[in-house]
Amino acid sequence: MTHWFHRNPLKATAPVSFNYYGMITGPPASKICNDLRSSRTRLLELFTDLSCNPETMKNAADLYFSLLQGFINSLGDSTQESKLRYVQSFKWTDTLQGHVPSAQQDAVFELISMGFNVALWYTKYASRLAGKEKFPESHIPKLLTPAEKGQDLEARLIDTYVIQCQAEAQEVTIARAIELKHAPGLIAALAYETASFYQRADHTLSSLEPAYSAKWRKYLHLKMCFYTAYVSPDSPADGEAYCYHGQTLLASDKCGEAIRSLQEAEKLYAEAEALCKEYGETKGPGPTAKPSGHLFFRKLGSLVKNTLDKCQRENGFIYFQKIPTEAPQLELKANYGLVEPVPFEFPPMSAHWTPEALAAFDLTKRPKDDSVKPKPEDDVKPVKEPDIKPQKDTGCSVS
Amino acid sequence: PAIPEGVPTDTKNKDGVLVDEFGLPQIPAS
Repeated sequence: MTHWFHRNPLKATAPVSFNYYGMITGPPASKICNDLRSSRTRLLELFTDLSCNPETMKNAADLYFSLLQGFINSLGDSTQESKLRYVQSFKWTDTLQGHVPSAQQDAVFELISMGFNVALWYTKYASRLAGKEKFPESHIPKLLTPAEKGQDLEARLIDTYVIQCQAEAQEVTIARAIELKHAPGLIAALAYETASFYQRADHTLSSLEPAYSAKWRKYLHLKMCFYTAYVSPDSPADGEAYCYHGQTLLASDKCGEAIRSLQEAEKLYAEAEALCKEYGETKGPGPTAKPSGHLFFRKLGSLVKNTLDKCQRENGFIYFQKIPTEAPQLELKANYGLVEPVPFEFPPMSAHWTPEALAAFDLTKRPKDDSVKPKPEDDVKPVKEPDIKPQKDTGCSVS
Repeated sequence: PAIPEGVPTDTKNKDGVLVDEFGLPQIPAS
């Protein structure tokens, strides 16, 4: 397996029956509960269904969320909370915290956690569209119990996931720009901006416990190195931006500077390779990707070498230019191909939520015992994720 | 998944340059 992207595991959850016994006083409420149970089960099944495509996922998620909305907002006025918001407890694990779940008796917690998993599924589907989805973070402030350090709903983790999505979506644009033979200047600028995204994502995680964040950070760091950013002469930087910058310089007859830029690319490509090895040896959640085995990675190595050879040859019998001692500073601004996140919106409340249906939930008849809470046997089982096989390795495909 | 192939459908104008749905100029410069 030569997967290019590092993925943390999906969140796992305990089953929810939506059985409220005496509290249900009419068929409309009973139907909503049945639909909630079946649509939740269906959505959870789709997370591990290899044949699921984004359209199926969206339909299933919209169905469940439109029903769940009735547990969150009151009818006709979304600023008032539903009388049903706190009737059901939900259990979810966090992507970096192993099998230990957190539980909250709050439908908003369920909405955010399930929305988070849908977004994770999109990133696992690894399409460009996935990277454009934004997490449903606007609901997080509504939670009565704030997220603790290292939990998925904590700002640092959410921010890192969002930035990583943007960076990975941009990687696809870079791969496409290379495939379509766009101008080296355009590719260098995009690579430089993408490296900055990875640097930001890595920095966002820097204050978390290394025990669960180290592996993820290594991945972000190696991607930063691969796509480069030459911050200071001592810092590890990459290949990609320098390599394409070198090509741009050569095209402007600046052969000496091109050679220096490509020498830097060669050095930094070797450093990126070393970081890939370190990432592979670091323990942490999620399967280990193997970026250095990917053709997209290896092709850069030979591109740097071949371009450097060409520049040195041409400098030897055409240009005779001096090679600078310092590598050129990269100041690249991408004008094209930058990724913008598409705002995420939950679907409107299901049409099944009528005043009659809501009235058929009688909270005064709510069971006194804890029967709505998850039972011990509802332990959260880890999600068995299918291994998505990469497609044809063209060197530009980033799976 | 591989890089999407085919002719991009969603086009827009940026700085007077037609760009594809990936935000890249429709006609590569090189």
